[in-house]
Amino acid sequence: MAVFADPEDTETRALHDYADFNGKCVLEIGCGDGRLTWRYADRAASVVAIDPKAEDIEIALEDCPEELRHKIEFRVARLEELEIPAEKFDLALLSWSL
Amino acid sequence: MVHALEKIQQLLQTDGILLDMHPTNEPAAIAVRLREQLIPAGWLNESDDYVEYEWADEALQHVVDDRRFARERVGTFEFVWHADTLNDLRTYLAEEWQNASIDEMTAGRIEELLKLPVHDKEILLSEAIRIARYRRVGTR
Repeated sequence: MAVFADPEDTETRALHDYADFNGKCVLEIGCGDGRLTWRYADRAASVVAIDPKAEDIEIALEDCPEELRHKIEFRVARLEELEIPAEKFDLALLSWSL
Repeated sequence: MVHALEKIQQLLQTDGILLDMHPTNEPAAIAVRLREQLIPAGWLNESDDYVEYEWADEALQHVVDDRRFARERVGTFEFVWHADTLNDLRTYLAEEWQNASIDEMTAGRIEELLKLPVHDKEILLSEAIRIARYRRVGTR
Protein backbone atom coordinates (compact mmCIF):
# COMPACT_ATOMS: atom_id res chain seq x y z
CA MET A 1 0.00 0.00 0.00
CA ALA A 2 1.44 3.33 -0.99
CA VAL A 3 -0.23 6.07 1.02
CA PHE A 4 1.94 8.68 2.68
CA ALA A 5 0.57 10.97 5.40
CA ASP A 6 1.91 14.51 5.40
CA PRO A 7 5.29 13.85 3.74
CA GLU A 8 5.68 17.64 3.64
CA ASP A 9 5.83 17.65 7.47
CA THR A 10 3.34 20.51 7.63
CA GLU A 11 1.95 19.23 10.90
CA THR A 12 5.37 19.15 12.57
CA ARG A 13 6.16 22.67 11.41
CA ALA A 14 2.82 23.93 12.76
CA LEU A 15 3.40 22.12 16.04
CA HIS A 16 6.76 23.79 16.63
CA ASP A 17 5.53 27.13 15.36
CA TYR A 18 2.76 27.15 17.96
CA ALA A 19 4.61 25.75 20.98
CA ASP A 20 8.08 25.62 22.42
CA PHE A 21 8.74 22.08 23.63
CA ASN A 22 12.27 22.73 24.83
CA GLY A 23 12.73 21.46 28.37
CA LYS A 24 8.98 21.11 28.90
CA CYS A 25 7.05 18.42 30.77
CA VAL A 26 4.44 17.41 28.21
CA LEU A 27 1.14 15.52 28.47
CA GLU A 28 -0.04 14.19 25.11
CA ILE A 29 -3.67 13.10 25.08
CA GLY A 30 -4.67 10.65 22.36
CA CYS A 31 -1.13 9.79 21.31
CA GLY A 32 -2.20 6.75 19.28
CA ASP A 33 0.82 4.89 17.95
CA GLY A 34 3.16 7.79 18.75
CA ARG A 35 3.16 9.27 15.24
CA LEU A 36 3.25 12.81 16.61
CA THR A 37 5.17 12.04 19.80
CA TRP A 38 8.39 11.33 17.90
CA ARG A 39 8.20 14.78 16.34
CA TYR A 40 8.71 16.79 19.53
CA ALA A 41 9.86 14.41 22.31
CA ASP A 42 13.55 14.95 21.59
CA ARG A 43 13.15 18.57 22.74
CA ALA A 44 10.95 17.90 25.78
CA ALA A 45 12.24 17.17 29.28
CA SER A 46 9.65 14.44 29.75
CA VAL A 47 6.48 13.17 28.09
CA VAL A 48 3.47 11.29 29.42
CA ALA A 49 1.56 10.05 26.37
CA ILE A 50 -1.83 8.46 26.89
CA ASP A 51 -4.37 6.70 24.71
CA PRO A 52 -7.29 4.42 25.59
CA LYS A 53 -6.43 1.95 22.80
CA ALA A 54 -4.05 -0.68 24.16
CA GLU A 55 -3.10 -1.90 20.68
CA ASP A 56 -1.95 1.59 19.67
CA ILE A 57 0.13 1.99 22.83
CA GLU A 58 1.68 -1.41 22.11
CA ILE A 59 2.76 -0.15 18.67
CA ALA A 60 4.09 3.06 20.20
CA LEU A 61 6.17 1.10 22.72
CA GLU A 62 7.59 -1.07 19.93
CA ASP A 63 8.33 1.87 17.65
CA CYS A 64 9.75 4.23 20.27
CA PRO A 65 13.24 5.29 19.22
CA GLU A 66 15.91 4.10 21.62
CA GLU A 67 17.13 7.63 22.35
CA LEU A 68 13.64 8.71 23.49
CA ARG A 69 12.78 5.75 25.71
CA HIS A 70 14.10 7.33 28.90
CA LYS A 71 11.88 10.39 28.62
CA ILE A 72 8.54 9.05 27.31
CA GLU A 73 6.05 7.20 29.48
CA PHE A 74 3.24 5.63 27.46
CA ARG A 75 0.05 4.70 29.30
CA VAL A 76 -3.17 3.00 28.28
CA ALA A 77 -5.53 5.47 29.90
CA ARG A 78 -8.37 7.89 29.42
CA LEU A 79 -7.76 11.45 30.54
CA GLU A 80 -10.64 11.30 33.02
CA GLU A 81 -9.07 8.39 34.91
CA LEU A 82 -5.50 9.68 34.87
CA GLU A 83 -4.08 9.81 38.37
CA ILE A 84 -1.31 12.35 38.28
CA PRO A 85 -0.62 15.17 40.77
CA ALA A 86 -2.10 18.54 39.81
CA GLU A 87 0.00 21.16 38.04
CA LYS A 88 2.59 18.63 36.87
CA PHE A 89 2.77 19.65 33.20
CA ASP A 90 4.00 22.70 31.31
CA LEU A 91 2.22 21.75 28.11
CA ALA A 92 -0.75 19.60 27.17
CA LEU A 93 -1.20 18.45 23.60
CA LEU A 94 -4.57 17.40 22.24
CA SER A 95 -3.88 15.79 18.94
CA TRP A 96 -7.09 15.14 16.99
CA SER A 97 -8.43 13.80 20.27
CA LEU A 98 -10.81 16.22 21.98
CA MET B 1 -15.36 17.47 26.38
CA VAL B 2 -15.61 20.39 28.79
CA HIS B 3 -14.79 17.99 31.64
CA ALA B 4 -11.69 16.85 29.78
CA LEU B 5 -10.57 20.46 29.41
CA GLU B 6 -11.20 21.10 33.10
CA LYS B 7 -9.05 18.06 33.91
CA ILE B 8 -6.29 19.43 31.67
CA GLN B 9 -6.52 22.75 33.47
CA GLN B 10 -5.90 20.90 36.76
CA LEU B 11 -2.90 19.05 35.37
CA LEU B 12 -1.26 22.12 33.87
CA GLN B 13 0.98 24.43 35.84
CA THR B 14 -0.03 28.05 36.22
CA ASP B 15 0.55 29.64 32.81
CA GLY B 16 0.77 26.17 31.26
CA ILE B 17 0.01 25.79 27.56
CA LEU B 18 -2.72 23.73 25.91
CA LEU B 19 -2.14 23.04 22.24
CA ASP B 20 -5.11 21.64 20.35
CA MET B 21 -5.17 20.29 16.82
CA HIS B 22 -8.23 18.85 15.16
CA PRO B 23 -9.79 18.88 11.70
CA THR B 24 -12.18 21.67 10.82
CA ASN B 25 -15.77 20.79 10.02
CA GLU B 26 -15.11 21.07 6.27
CA PRO B 27 -15.00 17.80 4.33
CA ALA B 28 -11.60 16.63 3.15
CA ALA B 29 -10.95 17.47 -0.49
CA ILE B 30 -9.79 14.88 -3.01
CA ALA B 31 -7.76 15.93 -6.05
CA VAL B 32 -5.54 14.30 -8.62
CA ARG B 33 -2.15 15.79 -9.35
CA LEU B 34 -0.96 15.45 -12.92
CA ARG B 35 2.58 16.79 -12.88
CA GLU B 36 2.17 20.38 -11.58
CA GLN B 37 -1.56 20.49 -12.27
CA LEU B 38 -3.98 19.85 -9.42
CA ILE B 39 -7.46 18.79 -10.55
CA PRO B 40 -10.31 18.61 -8.00
CA ALA B 41 -12.10 15.24 -8.02
CA GLY B 42 -14.55 15.50 -5.11
CA TRP B 43 -14.84 15.20 -1.37
CA LEU B 44 -14.43 12.52 1.24
CA ASN B 45 -17.68 11.40 2.85
CA GLU B 46 -17.54 11.11 6.62
CA SER B 47 -20.43 9.88 8.70
CA ASP B 48 -20.03 11.56 12.06
CA ASP B 49 -16.62 13.13 12.72
CA TYR B 50 -17.63 16.65 11.71
CA VAL B 51 -20.23 16.85 14.44
CA GLU B 52 -17.56 15.90 16.96
CA TYR B 53 -15.24 18.62 15.65
CA GLU B 54 -18.01 21.18 16.14
CA TRP B 55 -18.50 19.92 19.69
CA ALA B 56 -14.76 20.26 20.29
CA ASP B 57 -14.85 23.88 19.09
CA GLU B 58 -17.83 24.59 21.34
CA ALA B 59 -16.10 23.00 24.36
CA LEU B 60 -12.95 25.05 23.77
CA GLN B 61 -15.00 28.23 23.44
CA HIS B 62 -16.80 27.34 26.66
CA VAL B 63 -13.57 27.14 28.72
CA VAL B 64 -12.39 30.41 27.18
CA ASP B 65 -15.69 32.10 28.06
CA ASP B 66 -15.39 30.55 31.52
CA ARG B 67 -11.92 32.13 31.86
CA ARG B 68 -10.20 28.82 32.47
CA PHE B 69 -8.05 29.30 29.38
CA ALA B 70 -7.09 32.27 27.24
CA ARG B 71 -6.81 31.70 23.50
CA GLU B 72 -3.47 33.11 22.34
CA ARG B 73 -3.27 32.05 18.73
CA VAL B 74 -5.32 30.13 16.22
CA GLY B 75 -4.80 29.11 12.61
CA THR B 76 -5.19 26.31 10.11
CA PHE B 77 -2.92 24.17 7.97
CA GLU B 78 -3.44 21.51 5.33
CA PHE B 79 -2.69 17.88 6.20
CA VAL B 80 -2.26 15.96 2.95
CA TRP B 81 -2.23 12.23 2.26
CA HIS B 82 -0.63 11.08 -1.00
CA ALA B 83 -1.83 7.87 -2.66
CA ASP B 84 -0.66 6.20 -5.84
CA THR B 85 -3.94 4.48 -6.68
CA LEU B 86 -7.61 4.61 -5.70
CA ASN B 87 -7.30 1.09 -4.35
CA ASP B 88 -4.41 2.18 -2.12
CA LEU B 89 -6.45 5.07 -0.77
CA ARG B 90 -9.54 2.92 -0.16
CA THR B 91 -7.48 0.27 1.63
CA TYR B 92 -5.90 2.95 3.79
CA LEU B 93 -9.29 4.46 4.65
CA ALA B 94 -10.69 1.04 5.53
CA GLU B 95 -7.84 0.50 7.97
CA GLU B 96 -7.35 3.96 9.43
CA TRP B 97 -10.51 5.98 8.82
CA GLN B 98 -13.40 3.55 9.08
CA ASN B 99 -16.25 6.05 8.90
CA ALA B 100 -14.96 7.68 5.71
CA SER B 101 -15.75 6.67 2.16
CA ILE B 102 -15.35 7.83 -1.43
CA ASP B 103 -18.58 8.00 -3.42
CA GLU B 104 -18.82 6.45 -6.87
CA MET B 105 -18.90 9.75 -8.72
CA THR B 106 -15.67 10.92 -7.08
CA ALA B 107 -14.10 7.49 -7.57
CA GLY B 108 -15.02 7.56 -11.26
CA ARG B 109 -13.49 11.00 -11.66
CA ILE B 110 -10.28 9.87 -9.94
CA GLU B 111 -9.98 6.77 -12.15
CA GLU B 112 -10.64 8.86 -15.25
CA LEU B 113 -7.87 11.31 -14.34
CA LEU B 114 -5.41 8.58 -13.39
CA LYS B 115 -5.91 6.95 -16.81
CA LEU B 116 -4.55 10.03 -18.57
CA PRO B 117 -1.18 9.39 -20.22
CA VAL B 118 0.87 11.35 -17.72
CA HIS B 119 3.80 9.72 -15.96
CA ASP B 120 3.92 11.79 -12.77
CA LYS B 121 0.50 11.55 -11.07
CA GLU B 122 -1.05 10.81 -7.69
CA ILE B 123 -4.18 11.27 -5.58
CA LEU B 124 -4.13 13.94 -2.88
CA LEU B 125 -6.51 13.91 0.06
CA SER B 126 -6.38 17.23 1.95
CA GLU B 127 -7.88 17.97 5.31
CA ALA B 128 -7.88 21.42 6.90
CA ILE B 129 -6.59 21.23 10.48
CA ARG B 130 -7.32 23.87 13.08
CA ILE B 131 -4.46 24.50 15.48
CA ALA B 132 -4.81 26.68 18.53
CA ARG B 133 -2.73 27.60 21.55
CA TYR B 134 -4.36 28.35 24.89
CA ARG B 135 -2.81 29.48 28.15
CA ARG B 136 -4.14 28.31 31.48
CA VAL B 137 -5.64 31.13 33.50
CA GLY B 138 -7.71 31.21 36.63
CA THR B 139 -7.60 28.92 39.61
CA ARG B 140 -8.51 25.26 39.78
